[in-house]
Amino acid sequence: MILGYDSSVGTVSLFLALLAVVAELATATAIVLWIGGHFSPALRRLGQAAVDAVAPSALTLAALVATVCMTGSLYFSEVAHFPPCHLCWLQRFCMYPLVPILGIAAWRQAGRVRPYAAALALIGACISAYHVALEHHPEWESSVCDPKNPCTLIWVKRLGYLTIPTMALSGFALIITLLAVSRAGDRPVPSELPRSDVHGFH
Amino acid sequence: MASTKSKPKSGAVAAARKKQPPWLWIGVAAVVVVLAVAALASSGGSGGKNKTAAGTEQTRPVTVTGAALPELPQSGGDDPAVGKEIPEAKGQSFDGTPVDIRNDGRAKLILFVAHWCPHCQREVPLLAGYLKSHPLPAGVDLYTVATATSSTRPNYPPSAWLSKVGWKAPTMADSDDGKAANGFGLSAFPYFVAVDGSGKVVARTTGEITTDEFAGLADKTLGNK
Repeated sequence: MILGYDSSVGTVSLFLALLAVVAELATATAIVLWIGGHFSPALRRLGQAAVDAVAPSALTLAALVATVCMTGSLYFSEVAHFPPCHLCWLQRFCMYPLVPILGIAAWRQAGRVRPYAAALALIGACISAYHVALEHHPEWESSVCDPKNPCTLIWVKRLGYLTIPTMALSGFALIITLLAVSRAGDRPVPSELPRSDVHGFH
Repeated sequence: MASTKSKPKSGAVAAARKKQPPWLWIGVAAVVVVLAVAALASSGGSGGKNKTAAGTEQTRPVTVTGAALPELPQSGGDDPAVGKEIPEAKGQSFDGTPVDIRNDGRAKLILFVAHWCPHCQREVPLLAGYLKSHPLPAGVDLYTVATATSSTRPNYPPSAWLSKVGWKAPTMADSDDGKAANGFGLSAFPYFVAVDGSGKVVARTTGEITTDEFAGLADKTLGNK
């Protein structure tokens, strides 16, 4: 898509798009390992190794992802001057609080915060998914364009598919994945449990 | 079952979390650096995408004389502009060719589009294809006004977009402050104004329309219901 922004905005949007691709790959890998682990012992071992490696840092990584998403959205609105639409604001309401919530949770190792952060990220992901769908089906919103700032307006499209709400969806998905990994890391693996615990009886 | 739900004590968890593997953070930092370098390296030529042909301007001065049409109500109901005379708009196309929309005794359809509007991006190619095989009735002229043009918005510039989709109708490049759009009472995109031979509005509509509806608008300009 031909876009009117200058080259610095193009560079930053491409950088954010590449980060979104990494987020999507990480999320897809986690899903494959999780589902595959139910069927393949090798994938289960691989998944467990990944959890062991990532879980201690998962909350910090999730806070980092939320911070990058927030910084990116502020860059688009305050530096590139792409005014946020109604749905963009709703996604911001979900993403921005995750920065202090996950940051403090990571600092204090407060795993109990995970369900609340996950709920917020899930709501944000649903809004992002709807926004992405609207970009493909503008008639769902209306048959006309609001002259001011319609939600169907695609400000950025990188690598053929990465628009701003697509990047937000990738960020929300990775945050949910990291929260799941963090929780999985808290669970004792079956081999570490006392024998009676494996069966669930005393 | 209670024992399966037991978790390590919080102190143990905290201790475990402190053992965050340094290689993970080194890896994250390396990925970020590689992506930043890739973005910088591949953005070198992006500035040329938005350049337009020499002598082409995306907005041009427009002069509107006569009473402005009232804005088309989005809530439906009777259109207050029907029966009113259109104002006269004098402007230029992207390349500077004069384009005047005036009461010249001919029926006309005027289409207002914005390059960034996804509905306009679907409507214009649809009508361009239709007009190739179904020209407008003799005595009906078609004008386009490219308005709300902004270099910071997607699908810029409008001249390249309209050329790419094969749009042949005379196109006025509206002024930066949208004088033509304001003069004709635009409230949303795409926006159609049907005018009869006496220069009076017979119908207005906004949003995507079908080719049959477009043909119906053309018929209305000739006094056909």
